Amino acid sequence: MTRWGMVIDAARCVGCQACTVACKTENQSPLDAWYAPVIEWEEGEFPDATLNYLPVLCNHCEDAPCVTACPSGALTRRDDGIVMANEDVCIGSRACMTACPYGALHFFEDRGTVAVEGAPAEAVPSVPERYAHQRHVRGAVSKCTYCAHKIDFGLENGLEVGVHPLATPACVVTCPAECRIFGDLDDPDSNVSQYLAGHGGGEVLRPDAKTLPSTQYVGLP
Amino acid sequence: MTAVSSTAGGGAGPQNVFMDQFNLEARTQRVWDINHAIWFTLMGVGGGVFLAGRILNLTEGLGYVLGIPTVDVVSFLAIAVGGAILVADLGRPLQAWRAFVNVRTSWISWGAWSDLIFLVMAGLLVLPALSLGGSEPFSGLGWDPHGGDGGGLALEIIAGVAAVVVMTYAGAVLARPRAIPYWNSPAVPLQFLLSSAAMSVAVVMLIEVIAGEPVTAGQMVLLGLLTAALTVAVVVHLLARTDAPGKKESLDRLLRGQYRSMFVWGVFASGTVAPAVLAFAGAVVGVSGARDALAVICCVLLVPGGFWLRLLTLRVGIFPPVHIPSVSGPRMAAP
Repeated sequence: MTRWGMVIDAARCVGCQACTVACKTENQSPLDAWYAPVIEWEEGEFPDATLNYLPVLCNHCEDAPCVTACPSGALTRRDDGIVMANEDVCIGSRACMTACPYGALHFFEDRGTVAVEGAPAEAVPSVPERYAHQRHVRGAVSKCTYCAHKIDFGLENGLEVGVHPLATPACVVTCPAECRIFGDLDDPDSNVSQYLAGHGGGEVLRPDAKTLPSTQYVGLP
Repeated sequence: MTAVSSTAGGGAGPQNVFMDQFNLEARTQRVWDINHAIWFTLMGVGGGVFLAGRILNLTEGLGYVLGIPTVDVVSFLAIAVGGAILVADLGRPLQAWRAFVNVRTSWISWGAWSDLIFLVMAGLLVLPALSLGGSEPFSGLGWDPHGGDGGGLALEIIAGVAAVVVMTYAGAVLARPRAIPYWNSPAVPLQFLLSSAAMSVAVVMLIEVIAGEPVTAGQMVLLGLLTAALTVAVVVHLLARTDAPGKKESLDRLLRGQYRSMFVWGVFASGTVAPAVLAFAGAVVGVSGARDALAVICCVLLVPGGFWLRLLTLRVGIFPPVHIPSVSGPRMAAP
């Protein structure tokens, strides 16, 4: 069974926020929603001060509290471990936002259902669903999907997920420091598994929440 | 580590809510606020008044509206208005029916079903008594609206069970996820349940006084016990896991920060301790008029206190930082 996951080597992050912008561009997320921010903070005092970076995104948890809390069934976990938000089904209760320890869900303010900015489907007639992920519904919650549309596109077209740029999350593709690695956590030979094995396993954020995230970290400050 | 400070969008003064995501700080939840507090309060009172009226045997004799006992009318109105506020607060109110879908895991779905079941069953129960223009168009329905026969009793029991869920589920919604440590405690639904019960008994006693019926010593003892239990639940919750990241910030805000006065005086003093003292005093006072006055004062204190309890619980819902530097979590096994 495939379980898509991401390893982030925080020690390699240079804080350029390219992932943040690449995600925004790829997903055309609502104005106030950042699916992949990079947290930064100072530590210590001059002259022994350092600036730390921590890229974050949806953790695509195995025991996802957002899915548990969602009353409408808008949030679901696919068989490959990706937690998806169906904005057409979302009622905007925001229960998921209070349940998620990572702040990974984003409420699109205002009322009414509209198709908003994003490349029009007719621009790519051969793949009319290619840009469906860029359509957001006001009053609903949206989130990072590990660029599931790219993964699905890659699988349908025989591209290697996590390696080919068209089959890999935008934040991973764009990272100049190569601090993000994407692949199948259940495959011991995958790039993510090999990277974790080489670093003695990964850590997770908010371990107290016991959500079993698929986004894991090495080199955490 | 000697110091940790934010470099993006943090600092004193109003924060840009959207920049919270870029900070390694505890984040205050901002998605549920006063509308939810009103909804939680009304649901608690609505479900509780229905039950309290029956437990205290006060559905009859306290006045009627269109042939329906005043106690039940208050109950229906509270739940209907609370439900309407909930629906209006949704991001997509016209899709509200979807709240009934995920009964497998979502407490909100349980709440939606319990609200609906309560309104339908309690509504059916009293329907034969409905009087419109001097006639009782539904009097031919085959059950006793007072629960005196099998059909009526069944409706009453189902509505009563639904009312208990209505009183409790708001707390369970908050308590289940581990994201916000202040909420993640069985003490939260317990507080909501006890607060709902206390408010409801007080409201029923207020209706009793308005109807000119004397409040009994037994009723005051019941109110005193409920408010005393609520006081204990609040204190136990405050004393548990005080150093846990997130909860520490919640307690700071509640006991030393911006909500100190509202919590100490609005919730703790006048919303729990004072009503408990007054209720027990009312139980021992020999003069019926004085007891009635104390019951009214208890109601006037308890209902706002219950509202403040819920509002402050929401407002001190704080997520700890997603990562605490220099504190390693358990390492996941390498594949």
